[in-house]
Amino acid sequence: MRKIGIIILCFVFAILSYFTFVSAEKVFNSDFQPPQTSAPNEEQYRLVLITQELETPFWDKVGEGAIKQAQKEGVSLEVWGSYGNNQDDFLKKIEIAIHSKMDGIIVQGLDTEEFKSLTKVKSASSGIPIITVANDVPVEESLRKTYVGSDQILAGKMIAKQLIADMGPSGKVIILGESEQEYHQRQRLQGIQDVLKGYPNVETLYAETTDTKEQVIAATQDLLNQLPDVDAFIAVNANNAGAMIQEIGRRSQVEPYHIYTFDDGPESLSLLTQGKLDGMIEQSPEKMGELSVNLVMKYLTDVTVPLNMDGYLTDIRIVKATEM
Amino acid sequence: MNTIQKKIWMLATVVLFIMVSIWLAFTYYNQKTQNQYNDILQRYLIMNEVTSSSQKVITDLNNYLLNPSLANLEQINVSQEKIRYAKYEVYNLVNEENEFALTNYINLIDSFIETTNRSLMFQSEAEIEASAKEFSEATRISKYISEMTLTVIDSELKTYDVLYRGIIEQSVEFKKLGVWLLLLIIVSLLLLTYWFSLTITRPVHQLTKAANELSKGRFDMQIKVESNDEIAFLAKTFDHMRININNLISEIQQKAQLEHELQQNKLLLKESQLRSLQSQINPHFLFNTLNTLSKKAYLEGAEETSDLLVSVAGLLRYNLKRLDRSVTLYEEVIVLQQYMEIQKARFTDRLEFHMDIDESCLQMQIPGLTLQPIVENAVIHAIEPEEDGGSIWFRVIDGVERVTIEIEDDGVGMTEDKIKQILEERLVETEGHSTGIGFSNVVKRLRLFYGYDDVIHIESSEGRGTKVVLKLPKVRRIENNEKAPDRR
Repeated sequence: MRKIGIIILCFVFAILSYFTFVSAEKVFNSDFQPPQTSAPNEEQYRLVLITQELETPFWDKVGEGAIKQAQKEGVSLEVWGSYGNNQDDFLKKIEIAIHSKMDGIIVQGLDTEEFKSLTKVKSASSGIPIITVANDVPVEESLRKTYVGSDQILAGKMIAKQLIADMGPSGKVIILGESEQEYHQRQRLQGIQDVLKGYPNVETLYAETTDTKEQVIAATQDLLNQLPDVDAFIAVNANNAGAMIQEIGRRSQVEPYHIYTFDDGPESLSLLTQGKLDGMIEQSPEKMGELSVNLVMKYLTDVTVPLNMDGYLTDIRIVKATEM
Repeated sequence: MNTIQKKIWMLATVVLFIMVSIWLAFTYYNQKTQNQYNDILQRYLIMNEVTSSSQKVITDLNNYLLNPSLANLEQINVSQEKIRYAKYEVYNLVNEENEFALTNYINLIDSFIETTNRSLMFQSEAEIEASAKEFSEATRISKYISEMTLTVIDSELKTYDVLYRGIIEQSVEFKKLGVWLLLLIIVSLLLLTYWFSLTITRPVHQLTKAANELSKGRFDMQIKVESNDEIAFLAKTFDHMRININNLISEIQQKAQLEHELQQNKLLLKESQLRSLQSQINPHFLFNTLNTLSKKAYLEGAEETSDLLVSVAGLLRYNLKRLDRSVTLYEEVIVLQQYMEIQKARFTDRLEFHMDIDESCLQMQIPGLTLQPIVENAVIHAIEPEEDGGSIWFRVIDGVERVTIEIEDDGVGMTEDKIKQILEERLVETEGHSTGIGFSNVVKRLRLFYGYDDVIHIESSEGRGTKVVLKLPKVRRIENNEKAPDRR
């Protein structure tokens, strides 16, 4: 009887020891490893990519390319930006970047006075090189070191040529532009118009709108009223394509119309796959990211000084809905 | 000073050790947690310090711009120093994950300080416009700093999220550990106490059992206690005591045996006396008569008869007197001579008696009336039946430890059976002995007197005589035996 008691007691002792040990291990052994503390690495170049349109497919790709290249070059890079074309936030980010004494700023060009003054005065005075990416702002207005992205005139030309090829040499075309025309949009428009000039039978109606959705819808309604027998649409600002197509769809079938835009809008790709867009200019966002980082580093390490002011152009091609 | 104390010490030490180790562990844990909390708080406080001091700089700068006094300038310098200090503190917070953000943060502070300095410079150069512009910029940067502080704190929170959750989990686990530890200590102390009490009480129990056995009178069980402490020592001494008692008891038993033998001895003596009384109805009358006869014979000129009567009277007196006490060998020899004279008168030429005595032995003590019965025995069996008579030799030879007394005859001898009967004290004499004391009686008394059996030998073969050898030790082995008969 007593022996059984002892055995049970020993057994309980063993079990308790086990649990105590396990518990103690949990208490005294946390698996958290605090991040390695390190003195700030002054040597490492710090770059920042700032965009107005975070988390759109296009800019995600630019960011990916840039980060990949930054890793390759061994520099630290962060992607900053504003969501949904919030210009105030965007400009603030640029200002913070300048005050934070970044070594290089890669920025989506914005054709506004504030942007220009920031880049011209502040960054230039603090000696921070600025590279515009995807959207350009002329060098004389922004003092950018170079531009990395597509040839927007060529893009306009390609889209116009595609339009002619699809529609034929005669027809009515609505070109939806933006009231606050940015440099790259002007270039695109110029390209389009250059091509369409050669076709006298093509009637173009150019309209401008701001980029709020309501405005785009209102403008589209207005244009459709003005030109009920329109054959084709071109949205110069890809951001407006979605709202525009939505409004067209409300009136009639979307298919009969030839609708074109660019790929830097948030909805461009999905519209194309749905077949609502007939064609889209596809740029090389990843390449842009890579190249921009590469060029900043070349500039910073004095490999290529000065950089080509005219810009480094990346490939563009037209993607048709039928190809998808 | 061994083990019970040691065991108590050990128990106390174990308990102490457990307590100390728990205390250490808890203190360590407490310290660790405290440090963690301190670190975390430190980080946030430093960042908060940056924000508040930058705002302080702005306020001071504003005051100075409105009222450019020396005191206000001093104030700006103080707050600038503060923010610089905060900046260096921030340096210490840099780690792999927040390096980029914190570098920006630090640079932002630098920019802020530069901007305020520029504002001051313009102010001193009286360029109010430029100064105000720089001031507004500084204000903006200050705002950025506060925003960035928030984002940095936010990212800190994310980075250390695991740690914070870990701390919470640990504190929950800590409570559990407390419960487990309590249970463990209870059980282990129970076990320990049980073992400890067992090591003390088990030997005591064994000892108690042994004592019980002893009290019941079982002295042959060995007392065995399996331990190595004071109880074992106690048990050992107890065992010694048991053995001593055991020895004592056997000694007492031996003594009782001796007492019994003594009793027998007395009985034998009584029997001898009775016999002699029976054979001589009135020894004193006879003795007096014999003396009277002797004198008469002497007066009548029969001198030889007179001597013979004297011998008979002496023998008779000796017989009456000396039977129950030890006498010297000398007295025995005298009696023997008197007896032989009487026998010689009887047998004349048929009996030849030779004596060869070592005079130095004559003072030794021997029981009374031992030699005469043996010689008488020889006369009865070796001389009486023979027509030609025979010879009897009586020798006393001194040895180193013993005195050898030989009584030899050249008679018919004895059979083996008879010798055996004599030595085993079974032979019952019926007649023929003048004193009524037979051989067996002598043998018994000799053995009792000297305390050992090997006191008499009989060498005999048929037709070639008998030789009785007494080997008497000069020093008696058992002194008590001598006194015992005297004590009456």
